[in-house]
Amino acid sequence: MAKWGMVIDLDKCTGCQACTTACSMENNTLPGESWQDVLFYHEGEYPSAQMKWLPRPCMQCENPSCVHVCPTRATYKDPDAGGIVFVDWNKCIGCKYCMIACPYGVRFYADEKPLIEPDIREAYPSENGQLWSPPYQNPDEDWQRGIGIQPPGVVSKCTFCYHKVKHAPEGVADLDEDNPEVKEYVPACVRTCAPKARYFGDLDNPESQVNQLIGDRHGVRLKDHTGNRPQVYYLGAGAGVPAFTPADREHDA
Amino acid sequence: MNMSMKDRKTRTQANVLQGPLGWGLLVASGIVLLASLAFALIQLMVNGHTSFNTGSTLPWGQPIATYLYFALASSGLGLIASLPLVFGFKQYYPVAKRCIFLAFIVLISGMAVLALELGNVFRMLWAIPLNLQVQSAMFWMGVFYALDLLFLLWKFSKLQGGEWDSKTAKQVGIASFIGVLLASGNLALIFGMMSMRPFWFDALLPIYFYFTGVTSGVAALVFFIYLAHGFQRERMPPALKALLTGALPKLFAALIGGTLLFITVRAITGLYSNNPEINLVWTDYLFASPLYNASLLLGLLLPFVVMLSASLRNSVGVQVLVACLVFLGLFAERFYFVVGGQVVPMFRGTWEPGLISYTPSTTEWSLTFIGISLCFVLYLLGEKFLNLGDMPRHMAEAPAGAPAAGAPAAGAPAAGAQANTA
Repeated sequence: MAKWGMVIDLDKCTGCQACTTACSMENNTLPGESWQDVLFYHEGEYPSAQMKWLPRPCMQCENPSCVHVCPTRATYKDPDAGGIVFVDWNKCIGCKYCMIACPYGVRFYADEKPLIEPDIREAYPSENGQLWSPPYQNPDEDWQRGIGIQPPGVVSKCTFCYHKVKHAPEGVADLDEDNPEVKEYVPACVRTCAPKARYFGDLDNPESQVNQLIGDRHGVRLKDHTGNRPQVYYLGAGAGVPAFTPADREHDA
Repeated sequence: MNMSMKDRKTRTQANVLQGPLGWGLLVASGIVLLASLAFALIQLMVNGHTSFNTGSTLPWGQPIATYLYFALASSGLGLIASLPLVFGFKQYYPVAKRCIFLAFIVLISGMAVLALELGNVFRMLWAIPLNLQVQSAMFWMGVFYALDLLFLLWKFSKLQGGEWDSKTAKQVGIASFIGVLLASGNLALIFGMMSMRPFWFDALLPIYFYFTGVTSGVAALVFFIYLAHGFQRERMPPALKALLTGALPKLFAALIGGTLLFITVRAITGLYSNNPEINLVWTDYLFASPLYNASLLLGLLLPFVVMLSASLRNSVGVQVLVACLVFLGLFAERFYFVVGGQVVPMFRGTWEPGLISYTPSTTEWSLTFIGISLCFVLYLLGEKFLNLGDMPRHMAEAPAGAPAAGAPAAGAPAAGAQANTA
C-alpha cells in the first residue's frame, strides 16, 4: 500500500487561496473550519519587511500525537489508506484532546460560534443528524473516516480527499492533475493549485516525483522537533516558520 | 489498635444543617441548581456548543477548568482523609468522614460539569471501555477516577457502618489513597505530557496538582465544617475544635505557602524562558490580567500572610475568610492555567494578530454554577442524613487535649458541644 504524501513548493505558491476554496467546496466545510488554510504574516520591518504565507493542510503525521491522546480510538492512522489520519465520527466523544495535542492546529470543532454572520448553518438547517445540510454535498459521505458533513459535537479534519484518492490505481507513484488517467483521484487542493505548487504521491515509492522533489530540493517538515514526522513536506524559502509574536510587538522581535 | 464492637459505636454530633437552616440552604441551592441546569440544557439543545465561547483555536475553556478544579479539590480531600485513615495522624479523625464524603460529591459535581462540556457524553460510556486506547492519558483518567469514586464510596460505607480501624477499612483506605494519587497525578499528565503546549509541559506537574489540590481541599473542608456548625466553634465537639485551633490551620498555612512557592517558580521559569509560548503567557496574559494579579494577591498571598500569625489563624472569622479567598484564588489559578496553555497561537498568521482572547459565555458560567450548586445540594443532604461529623467513639467522648484523642491541647471543652440527635 502506498504512503501518501504531499509536497508544497513555497517558491511557487502565490498565496491565492484557491486550495482553501477548493477544499471548502469539496468537503462542505464551514467558514473558519479551514481544513486547508493559508496563513499570512510579515517578517521584519521597513526597508527589509517581507510578506509571507504558508499553506497548511493536516500533516497526516507518521507519529501522530492526536492519535495517541484520543481516548476512544476515534482518531486513527490507517496504514491501509496510505497512512492518512482519520476521525471516526461514530466514535468521537468531542473531548477535543486531539485539538490540544496537534502541534499544527489543523483540527476543528465546528460546533462553535460562527466566524461570520449570518450563520450559514441557520440558512441550511441540520437534516439526517448533520451539523448543517447544504443543498450540494459531497456524495461520498463516510462518517467512519470523517468524510462528508459531520454530526454536532465531533472533531473534523483534512482527509487528503480520501474519497478521491482511494480510487487511484494500485501501485501508482504520483497523483498528478496533468495526467488524465489519474486526475480525478487527485486531492482538491492539489488539483486546483494554479501555479502547480503542490505535488501528491507515494512516499514509499522511490520513483515518485514527491520523493525526488524532497531529495533534490531539500524538503523540510514543519515543527520537526515535535517528533510527529509529517507526511507533508515544504520546499523553498519560507518553510522555516518564525515564532509567534503579537502584532503590536513586532518591533521587539 | 483493636477496639471492641462497643467502642466502634459512634455517636451523632449536632449540627445546624440538620435543622431549618439546612432545609433553607438546601432549597436555595436546589433552586440555583435547577435554574442553571435548565438554562444550560436549553442552550445546549437549542444552540449546541455554539453557546460556548470556546472554539477551534481555544478548545478548552472554563468548563474544563471547573472540572479540573473540582477533580483536584476532591483528590485533595481524599488525601487529607488519608492522614488519619492511612498514616495514623489521629487528630484528623474528626474530619475524616466529612472529607471522604466531600471528596465523593465534589468529584461527582466535577464529572457532571465535564459531561455537559463533552460533544457526545453518552458515547463515552461504550467508546472508552470498548476501544481500550491505553496510550491516552484520558483513557486512564476514566479508569482512575472510576476507581477513585468506587473506593471513596466503599470507604464511606465502612465509616458509615462505624468501622474506623478494621483491617478491611484500612485496606480500603490505602486503596483509596492510591486511587487518589493515580487519578490526580494522571490528570496532571493530561496537561503535563503535551510537549506541543510548552506552558503545560512539565514532568513535575503531578506534584503541583497534588499540592494545590490539597490546598483547595482544605479550603473547602474548613468552609464546610464551619457551615455545618453555624460558624460557631462552640458548637463543635472538643476533638474537632482542637484540630481547628491546632494542626489544621498550620497545615493550611503551609499549603498556601507551598502553592505560592510553586506558582513563583513556574513564573520565574516562564519569565526567564525565551520561548514565546511560555514567556508571552506570563508577560502578556497572566501578569497583564488584573483579575489574575488580584487572585494571586488576594486569593493566596493575603491569606498566607494572615495565616502566619498564630492568633489570627485560629480566629473563626479569619479561617472562614481565608477558606473563601483561597477557594476563589485557586479557581482563578485553574482557569488561567487551562486557558493560559492555549492563548498563544500555534502559528504566526492564523488570523489572530495577538493572543487568542477568551471570556466564558453565560452558558459556560451556568455549568460552573451547576457544579457548585450540585455540590451544595449533595453536601447538605449528606449533613442531614449521613452524620458527617462522626468520629471514633473514644475521640468523641474524650475531653479536648486528652492524649487518647491524639489531639493537641486546646481550650476547655464547651458545654453542649456534643449532643445526640434524636
